[in-house]
Amino acid sequence: MSHLLSFIQSGPPQQPPESGPPPQPPTEPARCINVAQRSALLVENDKSLVDILRTCLEKEGYAVRIGSNTEEAIRLYREFTPFRVVLIDYCVPQRDGIEIDCCAPQTQAIELAMAIRKIDRGQGIILAAFDFQSASEVPRRPEVMDIPTLVGCLDIPQLRRCLEKIELLRAIRALTRAEELRLQEVAKFRIYGLGRAACGRDWQDLLSEAFSRTVLGVTDTKNGRHWNKNVDLVRHLTEAMRSIASSWKRQFVGEENTYLISELQTRDAEGDDYSLFDNVASGHIPADQRLIEQENEHRVFASLRGDQDATQVLEAWMDGFRKSEILTKCGLDEKRYDAAVRRIRVKLLGRRS
Amino acid sequence: MGPKKKYSERIERVVNQLSESVLGLSDDDILAEVSAAGLDPEQEAKRVRNVLEKPLQTLEKVNLCLSNLGHTINPSNWYCGPLAYYNTCLHCGLSVSVTIATAEIRGSAVQRICRASDLMIRPTGTVS
Repeated sequence: MSHLLSFIQSGPPQQPPESGPPPQPPTEPARCINVAQRSALLVENDKSLVDILRTCLEKEGYAVRIGSNTEEAIRLYREFTPFRVVLIDYCVPQRDGIEIDCCAPQTQAIELAMAIRKIDRGQGIILAAFDFQSASEVPRRPEVMDIPTLVGCLDIPQLRRCLEKIELLRAIRALTRAEELRLQEVAKFRIYGLGRAACGRDWQDLLSEAFSRTVLGVTDTKNGRHWNKNVDLVRHLTEAMRSIASSWKRQFVGEENTYLISELQTRDAEGDDYSLFDNVASGHIPADQRLIEQENEHRVFASLRGDQDATQVLEAWMDGFRKSEILTKCGLDEKRYDAAVRRIRVKLLGRRS
Repeated sequence: MGPKKKYSERIERVVNQLSESVLGLSDDDILAEVSAAGLDPEQEAKRVRNVLEKPLQTLEKVNLCLSNLGHTINPSNWYCGPLAYYNTCLHCGLSVSVTIATAEIRGSAVQRICRASDLMIRPTGTVS
């Protein structure tokens, strides 16, 4: 271990200035770095901070390379890439150069890339996270930790969570216009499906809640919804909205118990007033909740009145049929089915076709 | 299957199918559909992005505000209430609540300095 530490502390041999034949990549002594071992690049000239961070990283099984300035950091990076963790002193000169050189090309391999800074009085460390893909990004500081927390609370997972937030931000910034519009449409349909159970909430509330839970899911898997990066973010948010809409509905059913009869008055196809109570057999409890559902269903069909294909598709959906079954059952071809679905989307959101 | 469950499920199925149909649309189709509805796709997409960026900005604002006052919260301890998210300082116990939709931050933790911490950092927009 001592030889490893001495190697890490002294760093790899300096490369000569650019003259003569191009330098060959140094061959590392096998005893120093296991190929499978995760390595970390630490760019920091404050010795006390170096000691703390190196201890933390080594405790986590990282082989640590330490550079004290920009040139050294870039040289280490080029010689020993890929690094899984990159921690850079916030105040190191030309830090942007390191971030771009060291982090952007191997973003996929990096588990964590952070800029670090010691705050006044030496009582703590502010960890500032940056979006390394954009050199002009305004520094972000999602977490602040003091030294005891950093050392005692197993810092690497904590730091990794910071990176997850950055990745979330990257992911939403990488969404295409079409993906954003899909999210909006899905949110609108979920709100439509809630009917009065939405309690005045709109699609923005639902989408915002879904994403808030995702952000919280970085640190809190109990209350939040953790985003698995292997899952498409649009799909993840869609599922989150479904789940949240269901919980809002359950809350509404649990909290709302009183309705005026006049609230349940509606009109049939001929324009005659009738009460939804007329269609509910007595003795079923809770009738009011069922009435709300029934009202929703009436509302859905009312918006498609006169459109036979769309009504057929809607009924088949409600009965749980799949597309292939609907095509057979309703005698529709793909084109007519898709057209009917499009009309359902347009009509239910009250848009002009 | 009782009638209640059936009614509840019927609407749910419709919404599920509609969601799937939207996710299955090609990029051109979704843009065309939004345009055909008389909406500006660019503006609508921008609204979505604003909605998505707001929670991160709000939570970051909370972290910054709390850290400037010397508070330390456990990010795993956010409690999801019916209207807001709640947390407390690990050192002094003061509480904070955040309503993401309105970006409202309330609670004694954002009004008072942490008594258990003698650390006071001047509020800044960045760490530079």
